[in-house]
Amino acid sequence: MSQAADAYVAPTSTGIDHKKLIMWLFLASDCMFFGTLISTHLLYRKLYPTGFTDAEGHQHFIQNLFNIELTSFSTFILLMSSFLMALAVSAMHKGEIKSFRRNVLGVIFFGLIFLGCQVFEFTHFYHQGLTIQNSVLGSTFYVLTGTHGTHVAIGVLWLVLLYFYSFSGKLGGHMGALDVEVAGLYWHFVDIVWIIIFTLVYLVEYLGPSGIWGSGLPTLAK
Amino acid sequence: MSHDTHHAPVASKLDLAPERSDLGFIRPDRTTGWLDWLTTVDHKKIGVLYGAFAMLYFLIGGVEALTIRTQLIRPDNDFVTARMYNQLFTMHGTTMIFLGVMPLSAAFFNFLVPLQIGARDVAFPRLNAFSLWTFVFGAFVLNASWLFEFGHLAGWFNSFDWHKALVYTDFAPANGWFSYAPLSGTFGQADAATLQAPRFTGVGTDFWIIGIQVLGIASLAASFNFICTIINMRAKGMTMMRMPVFTWMTLVTSFLIILAFPAITVALIELMFDRQFGANFFNPSAGGQPVLWQHLFWIFGHPEVYILVLPAMGIVSEILPTFSGKALFGYPIVVFSGAVIGFLGFAVWSHHMFTTGLGPVPTAAFALLTMAIAVPTGVKIFNWIGTLWGGRIRFTPPMVLALGFIWMFMCGGFSGVMHSSAPADSQQQDSYFVIAHFHYVLLGGVLLGLMAGLYFWFPKIFGRMPNAPLAYIASGLVILGFNMAFGPMHYLGLAGMPRRTHTYHAGNGWETWNYVATIGAYILGAGVFLAFMNLIWTAFKGKKCASDPWGGRTLEWSLPSPVPEYNFAQSPIIARRDAFFEDKHGGRPIGYENDGGDAGVHMPSQSWMPLLAGAGFLFIGLGMPMMSMRIPHAGWLVITGLAVLFVGIWLWALEGPGGYMLKTPVAPVTSGQPSPVATTSAH
Repeated sequence: MSQAADAYVAPTSTGIDHKKLIMWLFLASDCMFFGTLISTHLLYRKLYPTGFTDAEGHQHFIQNLFNIELTSFSTFILLMSSFLMALAVSAMHKGEIKSFRRNVLGVIFFGLIFLGCQVFEFTHFYHQGLTIQNSVLGSTFYVLTGTHGTHVAIGVLWLVLLYFYSFSGKLGGHMGALDVEVAGLYWHFVDIVWIIIFTLVYLVEYLGPSGIWGSGLPTLAK
Repeated sequence: MSHDTHHAPVASKLDLAPERSDLGFIRPDRTTGWLDWLTTVDHKKIGVLYGAFAMLYFLIGGVEALTIRTQLIRPDNDFVTARMYNQLFTMHGTTMIFLGVMPLSAAFFNFLVPLQIGARDVAFPRLNAFSLWTFVFGAFVLNASWLFEFGHLAGWFNSFDWHKALVYTDFAPANGWFSYAPLSGTFGQADAATLQAPRFTGVGTDFWIIGIQVLGIASLAASFNFICTIINMRAKGMTMMRMPVFTWMTLVTSFLIILAFPAITVALIELMFDRQFGANFFNPSAGGQPVLWQHLFWIFGHPEVYILVLPAMGIVSEILPTFSGKALFGYPIVVFSGAVIGFLGFAVWSHHMFTTGLGPVPTAAFALLTMAIAVPTGVKIFNWIGTLWGGRIRFTPPMVLALGFIWMFMCGGFSGVMHSSAPADSQQQDSYFVIAHFHYVLLGGVLLGLMAGLYFWFPKIFGRMPNAPLAYIASGLVILGFNMAFGPMHYLGLAGMPRRTHTYHAGNGWETWNYVATIGAYILGAGVFLAFMNLIWTAFKGKKCASDPWGGRTLEWSLPSPVPEYNFAQSPIIARRDAFFEDKHGGRPIGYENDGGDAGVHMPSQSWMPLLAGAGFLFIGLGMPMMSMRIPHAGWLVITGLAVLFVGIWLWALEGPGGYMLKTPVAPVTSGQPSPVATTSAH
């Protein structure tokens, strides 16, 4: 525990630390941010229920594009990373810095797997013919999931920096645990947003015989 | 260790031993002059900087407005071209809203909120400085488009090849302040090589997109900070319902900002993807729906109206009780009305879109909700009148402007209720009637409120009194000129004059009132200029005044003027609302905590990092439009900007918060008297 970090902690009116409060406020704002992006995607899905047309003029249905097994796997990985993040925060509160490092490395690793899956998915979709330029679906899908991916990438970068910072000996005590907890709040939020995106962008496409938007796809079998 | 010396209390920051941050750099704590202003984390200095920049942009936006009015003084005028006219009205609106009113409100938030709640600073002093510099760089980026435009007019760019790429040569934004798609967006197919689709407008729109995006980041960061400060840093006994109304309105405004700005952030990202990378969010040729832009914009844009007006309402709610010698009539209901206005503000956005064909049910719903919002607004006005009723009214420059605010804002409110009726609105849409309405709200309401606030708090900020006769003359000119300029526009609008047309033919019956409006605008311009000159003169040369020249009610008046850097020598303990007023007039005295004195109070260290991180936005902001101009390697400028931003935030995190202890004058802890005047500050 470092003296510099704990030298001055002012009491707050509510008893909640400033850093935790401001992170909750940021997350409230980020809710509106993702809400707007998800709404954009869903509005256009309702308006144009049938997927997209590629450069050769072939009509594609979104269910044929998605690789739902892969996305389910990466969703599971991201969920598990949240579990590890909770363990890392708990370890930090107990002052177990080694356990913190182990768990946070796990979060970073799982986060990178998720990002890897997303890169693979984007590449795959691109080769299937879905681009930002050729359809509204491409625009909304890539920008929405890409923005989420950027959030995950920022989270990974943050955790990597925290991981290395922990070797300086300055990450400790109440303020150190708070710093990790705030990063954890962010990480859990990004995870929850992905659960919503996974449900609303991927899973609902498989509801009912012709998809929730009534795209008229004859069979949902891949 | 220098650490120990740094933590020994000092009487002035200039006595500090040099301290190295956790990174090994020497902290700029002992600086004075312009280095001090660049690295300051003091909320009062940041407030002054916000105010100074806001007044500068008010003048720039005013010059743009007067150019517009000069063009319209007579029919078939050719004072400016239609192209230039489009850029002028766009930049006028954008400048006044984002670079004039919002930063001036932020100046008041910064200066007043910690003082009014009995705090020594905001929750995150360095984040506060980051908000300021991000605003400064965002504002510069937006106005840098003028430099490109003037360079283009002067012919400097003609020898470059990339000039040919600019099919439509608007360098300054020219879409109007709400940049409706598809005009602001793209059409047709994206080019396979550049991935860019053809656009209707020039790079001005790209300047606008990135400029507003950066300004949004500044506003968001500041709002997180202020909510945190107000919720978490109130002095002992300062419960929420004992807070001054201005602080309450800051809280509501900040919540509006953090919940409304994400909508415009996403809309701007989508528009940026359309223009830079050939996406189809708003491209009609590819199935994009331009009306989505209108929805996203106004989901932000209508709360924005309340973001502009609520701080002015808060200011007026402080000034009227002070000069009526009465407590604010119905304090809880004024606070509650402000919060209700904030909530309802999110539910009325489509009244800007009645003519887009929403269908009868949504139109009726939005019309009803819009009428409903007049209720809490009317409640506030009645409470202000109730405050005046039976009071011992003292006429001072702030009071005259605050009374003007009530009148003029009410006029704007009346035409606003007219707009809420969808059938009437569909006739008034895009006419000068709308211009008249929102200028009565934003000028008659917001500007008069903010000017009242400037005259009211300048004695606290600088310890000097504004020249009263000059202030009365300026206020008279402003109110006269404003009514002369915008009153006739009601008639012009109903007589069919459309907004945003660079000229009009003779014989429509519009000549006389346009002439009158332009003369009014000149008078208004002269009034605002005179008022600002008076204020600048006051800041440097005004007559020195006591700490409480107006007989104020809130805590900031209990402090010496100018306020010492630690604000409160001893932290106050608040027993009731208007505690300072009670204290002065034999009521229950303010208690003071036994902190400060020789033990010192904790002061945050100054830092270069907020300025460095903010400077990243300068590169990003200039790089993005240059990418759009297809200047080779402009993308590297954006990447450089992102790197500067990252390094700034990284070093900011690693340098550690620091801080030092400052001795304060000792006052008897049990005394109800305000803290004695401090003499430690070098400023």
